[in-house]
Amino acid sequence: MADQLVVDVAGLRKHYGSIEAVRGLDLQVPRGSIYGLLGRNGAGKTTTIKVLLGMARPTAGSAHVFGLAADAPDASVEIRRRTGFVSEDKELYDYMTVAEIVRFTAAFYPRWRRDLEERYLRAFELPAAMKVKALSRGTRTKLALLLALCRGAELLVLDEPTAGLDPAVTEQVLQALVGHVARDETTIFFSSHQIAEVEQIADRIAIVDRGRAVLAGALDELRESFRRVQLVFDREAPHAVFRAAGVARVRRQGRVLTESSTGGAEPILEEARALGPVSVDVGPVTLKEIFLETVATED
Amino acid sequence: MLWYKAWLETRWRFLIGLAILMASACGTVFIYPQVQRLIPLAPSVDAGGELGRRVQEAVQLSREYRGYVWSQWFRQNLIQMWTVFAALLGAGGLLSQSSGGAVLYTLSMPASRTRLLGVRAAAGLVELVALAVVPSLLIPLLSPAVGDSYSVVDALAHSACLFLGGAVFFGLAVLLSTVFADIWRPLLIALAAAAVIAIGEQFVRDVSPVGLFRLMNGETYFRTRHLPWTGLLVTTAATTALLYGAASSIARRDF
Repeated sequence: MADQLVVDVAGLRKHYGSIEAVRGLDLQVPRGSIYGLLGRNGAGKTTTIKVLLGMARPTAGSAHVFGLAADAPDASVEIRRRTGFVSEDKELYDYMTVAEIVRFTAAFYPRWRRDLEERYLRAFELPAAMKVKALSRGTRTKLALLLALCRGAELLVLDEPTAGLDPAVTEQVLQALVGHVARDETTIFFSSHQIAEVEQIADRIAIVDRGRAVLAGALDELRESFRRVQLVFDREAPHAVFRAAGVARVRRQGRVLTESSTGGAEPILEEARALGPVSVDVGPVTLKEIFLETVATED
Repeated sequence: MLWYKAWLETRWRFLIGLAILMASACGTVFIYPQVQRLIPLAPSVDAGGELGRRVQEAVQLSREYRGYVWSQWFRQNLIQMWTVFAALLGAGGLLSQSSGGAVLYTLSMPASRTRLLGVRAAAGLVELVALAVVPSLLIPLLSPAVGDSYSVVDALAHSACLFLGGAVFFGLAVLLSTVFADIWRPLLIALAAAAVIAIGEQFVRDVSPVGLFRLMNGETYFRTRHLPWTGLLVTTAATTALLYGAASSIARRDF
């Protein structure tokens, strides 16, 4: 199993002075997956990515990529040789032209994909002679993506890849990522607080809150395991305490009691019916609901 | 390609420095006939104290061309401007990219931080060699135009003293650039350090014989035709230590 993990993070902690950016994060990213790291701003997503790429050193715990320790300088160089990266701010060298920064980056990667370079230069309509500083944010993002995709990388690490983009460019970027994974055996590890895009392309997710993974797994399994049970009463909903395993959150609102759970539905339904509701409704939940429930539970 | 990147990042500082220093070297040579005409008037200058002594010394040195070139070019114009550009070329680098954000892109490359800093520092040192040597070689090249000659060996020897001595300020700026995220504080602190040392050497006579600026202007070579090897080795070691400190500092840093 371990050699099937591209990223393996255990008990990771990262302090910046008195600020705890990451607090005991555990994360396993299997090879070939599109793994979405979902969390609010300041949840520790970017810090985790920086640790994986050797840009920040962990305070405690371990982070391995391709089985290599991310905090060992020599191993970190090897990790970066096999990894493509797009930073959150998409800042590149303003003083270079598009052609220059492509040539500059290609020189570091023996497996640079000339075919993909030509394809994405055309598809993204990138002006080769234009200075990077003259590019719009959307075009700069597409350039950053090209520079990551063409490295012939086994792992793509993308920090908020679509932040600040309009819907059309966002869709173009996401389609490029999905298309890339379909063609090449690449693992994608990306952070986002855009639930819709995570839901669109990820097959596995981790929800991170305040530096810890509060939920992780295959997206389909999470959707399967999460259930929302809604009870409607002919009176004010009672203050109920559910003892069944897997109850994540219970909300009372007037005559309605809504309960979210991850366990099997039957034990919960048994408890629910004992409360005497006029109706019981069991339904699936969306990723947005899972996210909000999980993060709200942490609050 | 890291060399190419370092060149793109520093080329304007270097080219502006080169243009200014070359213009100054030309001026130093072509103004000599006028200086010669003024020398007979020098005994009428009556200034006492340290200033008077310095004026008289400059006049004495200027009576012959070699002395004039050393006094005017290697001891004043070149050393002052070159020191500014040494600090300017040392300032900036990996950390200063953080203000623009491109530092993360650089750090995502499969290159160690030591290599990133090393290439940038090496590129700066090569540019500093050029700033010391090229304008100085203009002196022997242009001297026949004013009816004099100047030794290429002397020009190279003084350039070597300037570079090996003054690289300390470059090393200091590189080290400070791993602490401060802007280009200005490393530049200003390195220049302030240079100013303090220069003023100290002017006024504390005990310091002057072993002073850094005395080493940089090659006074020992000018008077004895021997290079001050001990001083040059000490400053080279100091520069190496500063660059090593910079590499250690950047290796420990979180981004």
